[in-house]
Parts: sequence; structure tokens; C-alpha cells
Amino acid sequence: MENFKKNIKDNFEDFYSQNTSSDVLNNFRKNSFSSLNSLGLPSLKDEDWRFTDLNDFYKSAFKHRIQDNKKFDSALIPESLNFSDVTFIYLYNGKLSHFDSIENVKIEDLESYISRLDSNEFEEIINGHSEKNKDFTFEMNSAFLKDGVYIEVEKNIKLKKPIVIINYYDSEASFVCHRNVINFQDLSEGQIVEYTFSDDDISFLSNKATCFLLGNSTNVEHLSVDESNKSSYILSNLKISQKKDSNFTTDTILIGGKLYRNNVHPVLNGEGSNSNILGLYLSKDSQHMDNYMFVEHIKPNCGSRQLYKGILKDTSKGVFHGRILVHNEAQKTDAKQTNRNLLLSEKAQVDTKPQLEIYADDVKCTHGATTGQIDNEALYYLRARGINLEDAKLIMIRSFTEELLEFISSNFILDLHKSFVEKWFLNSQLAKSE
Amino acid sequence: MLEIIDLHANIEDKEILKGLTLKINKGEVHSIMGPNGSGKSTLASILAGKEDYEITKGDILFNGESIMEMAPEERAQEGIFLAFQYPIEIPGVTNSYFLREALNSIRKSKGDKPLKPVEFVKIAKEKIKDLKMDESLLNRSLNEGFSGGEKKRNEILQMSILNPCMSILDETDSGLDIDALQIVANGVNANRGDDKSFLVITHYQRLLNYIVPDFVHVLVGGKIVKSGDKSLALELESKGYSWLEN
Repeated sequence: MENFKKNIKDNFEDFYSQNTSSDVLNNFRKNSFSSLNSLGLPSLKDEDWRFTDLNDFYKSAFKHRIQDNKKFDSALIPESLNFSDVTFIYLYNGKLSHFDSIENVKIEDLESYISRLDSNEFEEIINGHSEKNKDFTFEMNSAFLKDGVYIEVEKNIKLKKPIVIINYYDSEASFVCHRNVINFQDLSEGQIVEYTFSDDDISFLSNKATCFLLGNSTNVEHLSVDESNKSSYILSNLKISQKKDSNFTTDTILIGGKLYRNNVHPVLNGEGSNSNILGLYLSKDSQHMDNYMFVEHIKPNCGSRQLYKGILKDTSKGVFHGRILVHNEAQKTDAKQTNRNLLLSEKAQVDTKPQLEIYADDVKCTHGATTGQIDNEALYYLRARGINLEDAKLIMIRSFTEELLEFISSNFILDLHKSFVEKWFLNSQLAKSE
Repeated sequence: MLEIIDLHANIEDKEILKGLTLKINKGEVHSIMGPNGSGKSTLASILAGKEDYEITKGDILFNGESIMEMAPEERAQEGIFLAFQYPIEIPGVTNSYFLREALNSIRKSKGDKPLKPVEFVKIAKEKIKDLKMDESLLNRSLNEGFSGGEKKRNEILQMSILNPCMSILDETDSGLDIDALQIVANGVNANRGDDKSFLVITHYQRLLNYIVPDFVHVLVGGKIVKSGDKSLALELESKGYSWLEN
């Protein structure tokens, strides 16, 4: 762990000295780094990390790299994302490479945008996140804040085409840090897809973050799919700040990574806002996928629905930590949390832990978790109708994911969701599992 | 068509079937009646290929070949159908998708081309109408939230779509009111034919007023203790099973 600390420190010192920006941003980086230092690195003794052993990870050494101005080759993107009627934004090792421009939407390199902000604006756009749930992964992302994209959808604008952000890594032993800030002004609507993938033969650490700022009466659907290779370490943060009467649905599909920490932190900051937090973690071999949910209800009359499902194969491991915090002002909160897991092998394992903290007296908060295997009675029933064992298993596994689809209203996102899940099914030889 | 020879079967070391012998020819309707715990449902499950049982002795021949080593899906593909006493609910799988997968699996095993969704829906809609079932049941999750009667009718719907030559009905009448019973019976009768056989397992004689059997067998303690024609069912209805026990 000491080596890793030193590794981060060296990286930061190099980064800080070589990247001088606005005073506001310089100070932010420095303060975030000292906050990272005072937080320290987590171990199994930390309640929020007790199911994820980072010791192996701490033994690795990474070098923070800034992508030079190479252009991403869009021929690399998979066929399932080969659309002509979407707005593409390409990130290459976290850095904005190029993009399609559209009317009424600002798309800009993150650093170039935020270095123009005064301290008040900076506070609103970058530092306005809840102080609860301080976590080393996000502090680290803040310390190295530079790369990524800033997207701002103007007031009243309804995006006609989905925005698809492609993020590709190909730099060996690199520590890549980037953040996408997506700002929907009042009454705007749209769909955002983030797709992350990597070269197969490299090992790297990705510390990525996506921050949504959702204005009053906005309506946004988000899909995030990560197919990074299985030698990579991924420390990911999704933060959402929702104003009055905003509606948000996020759907996360985890496929890649050797070790994946998926922090999701929606903050219901305006009355009458709603958040659907969906997720599907598909793990195999010895992958480890740790999902840490922190749903924060600040204002009254808001709703949140968490539905996270895991399909775990081989010796893979999953974690679901579902925390809901209802502040004392947040009366009439309706928060529901469900975690379901399907184990496809005897050696696959999942730890699930709900954590409710409620300081308001008139709220509805429910949580539930299940872990099981494919139901043998159901398999027998399907087989007794002539369906082969392999097909019957696939039908049962597919049916397990079906519940998530009910919450997705965009057909574009629905079809993408299905195509990535089906691809994983096909590549995972599910029928051959025990 | 179906020949069960001296079948002995255990579940968790407890012997349930103790030498059951039964022969069903093409086109015949046989009924097995018997008290609770006599082994009726065990027999049905074993015929369909459920793996929870240990067969200690005997054989089951279908069209002259032993099916003892065959998986449930292979038996279904050969034309054996079991209407379940307790149909399984499968959320997230629509009835229509399930039925098409089943029919196409059976077609594939025979070398026939799979039916396209449109072709399938046309057939399914016809059959569902015959069973006076609501068309919307096709698009609902398989058996999920179906009433008892709907589940049983759905079994008969599967039977009429899959068109098996040997149908086993495991207490299909239980939980049905008299109207539903008639609909189910009509559905079964519509599928009768010279090349199709039925084994109707029931507790009560009532169903046999509508599905008239050629032979009635009484199963007590894992063995057939008496066989006769349809009048045996009436006799059982008035006298109960106790005179046949011991």
C-alpha cells in the first residue's frame, strides 16, 4: 500500500507541475489531493470496502499519462454502435479526440471549459457535489482533473438524436483519469450513452467519472456500458445532481475489468424529482465487480428506484452495497432498492448489503435482495416441452434480466442494452456452466 | 405405443412405484385413478423424464424403444407430452415466446423448418380461441399471475399446439370449475385420433364423464391393483378406494 501511495504522489507531483491552469482549477487539484491524502487508502477494514480486497491492486504501478493529440480511429468501434443518426463524441485515453457538432449543445474539452470559470461557476459546475460519501476514487479523479468532455444542453432543448460518447484506452500500464460533465439546463431532454472499451493486451487503471447536472423539469436517460479488457482496474464514479421535477434513468452494464468499483451517487436535490438507477453486472472468470450505491434524498416528494442485477459465472465475485440516505427535510420520500443475483457456478460469490439511514418520519423505503441459481423446476418444465437444456438455460438467464427493461423508455437505449447483453451471453458459453 | 414394464422407482430411498405394468396402444385413452400418495404423479414425472427419481427395476418402451436414458426434451421431441399438475410460473418469458421456442425445438428435431413469429401467432390465436382463453395470455409472462383454471387451460393449449402422440394429463381437472372442466375436456377430445393416445391421471371420476376412457386402472401403493372399463370409475366414485387397499 505504501508503494501505491508513493506512486500516486509521484504521479500527482509530475501532473501538477506540468499542467498549470487557472488558479481555481490549480487550487481545486491541490485541495483534492490533500483531501485524498487525509482520507487515506481503503482496506478491508473500511465498512465501504469490506468486500473488495485491494491488496493486489496496490501492488501495481501505473504512470499517469496525458494523451498526445492523436485522433481516435472510429473504425475501432463495435458494429453494435454503428449508427448514422446519433451524435458521436470520441475520447481517446480519456482525452477528447473529436466529435460531431450539433445545434444548441455545447461540447468542449473539459479543462478548456472549466479553466474559464470563476470560482462561483466552478463551484456550481464541478464542486457542487454532496460532501457526504467522500471516497478516495472520486478525490483522486478531482486531483487529476483535466481530461474529459463538457456537454451542455441549452434550456428547453430536446435532443433529437442520442449523444454517444465513445471512450477507448490503448496505453499500457497507464493511469487514466477523466471526467465527463453533462449539464442539462432547465426543461431540456435527451439520451446519453457512454461506451468504454480498450485494447485487449494492455493493463491499466481507469479512474473515470461522469457527473450529471440536471436542471428543473429535465428528462434524461443514460446508458453506460463498460467492456474494458479483463486485465484492467476500473474505479468509476457516476454522480447525479437533480433539481426540481427532473426525471433521470441510468442503466449501467458492467462487462469488463479485472476489478471494478462502480460508485453511483444520485442526489435528489429538488422537490418532485425521480431517479431510476438500473444496473447489470455480468462477471466471469475471476472478475470482481463491486457496486456501491449511495442514493441521497435531500428534498421532499422525490422517488428513487434502484434495481441492480448480477449474473456471475466461474469464480467471479460481485458486491452490492446499497445505501439510501434520507435527510430530515425529505418527507414523502419513496425509495425502493432491489438487488438480485443469479449464480451460474458453485464458486461464484456475491455479497449484498443494504444500508438505510432515514432522518425524516414520513417516508417509504424498502429494500430486498435475492441470490439464487437457475430454477431446476423451471428448467425441467421447459425441457418437458422439447426445449434443449442449453436453450432452456439461456431462456432462464435471459428472463432474469428482463425486469430491467421495464424501466427503460427509450427504444434506442433498450436495443443497445439488449445487444450488449446478448453478446455477453453468446461469448460466455453460458450453457456449459455448471 | 407406450409400455411400462414392472417399473420400480424410489425417491430419496423410499420406494414409490413397486412393479407397475401398463400397456397403452395407439388411439387408446387410459385413465389411472388412485388415492393420494399412491404414486400417480410420480409415474407422470418419470414418464416425462424428471431426474429426481431412481429407477431400480423395469423399463419404459415408447414405440418399442426404451426411453429410460432419454432426456426430458428428447422425450418431448419424440411426442410425449405431460400436462403438469402444477404448471411452473416463469417471469420474464412470454407465453408466446415459450410456445414458439418449444414448437420450433420439436420441429427442428424432426428436420422441419422453424415457424416465423407471424406464422406461429396465427396458429396460436386459433388454438387459444378454441380453448376460450383470453388472447392477451399469449403476451403475458408464462403462467405468472394466471388463475388456476388459466394455468390448466394453458397446459392444454400447449398440448394442442405441440400436437404430441402420447399425452399424459396429471390431475388436469383439479382446481377447475365445471365450465372450465368442459372446456379443457373439449380441448382434449379435439386432439383425440387414431394415432394419438392419452393417459389421464385423476382423483375423481367427474373428468371421465367428458373424456371417456377405454380403460381405467386403479393405482394403490405403487402398483395397479385393478383394471377395467369406464364403469370401474363409477364404482370407485361410489365405493372409494379403501376396498382395494391391502
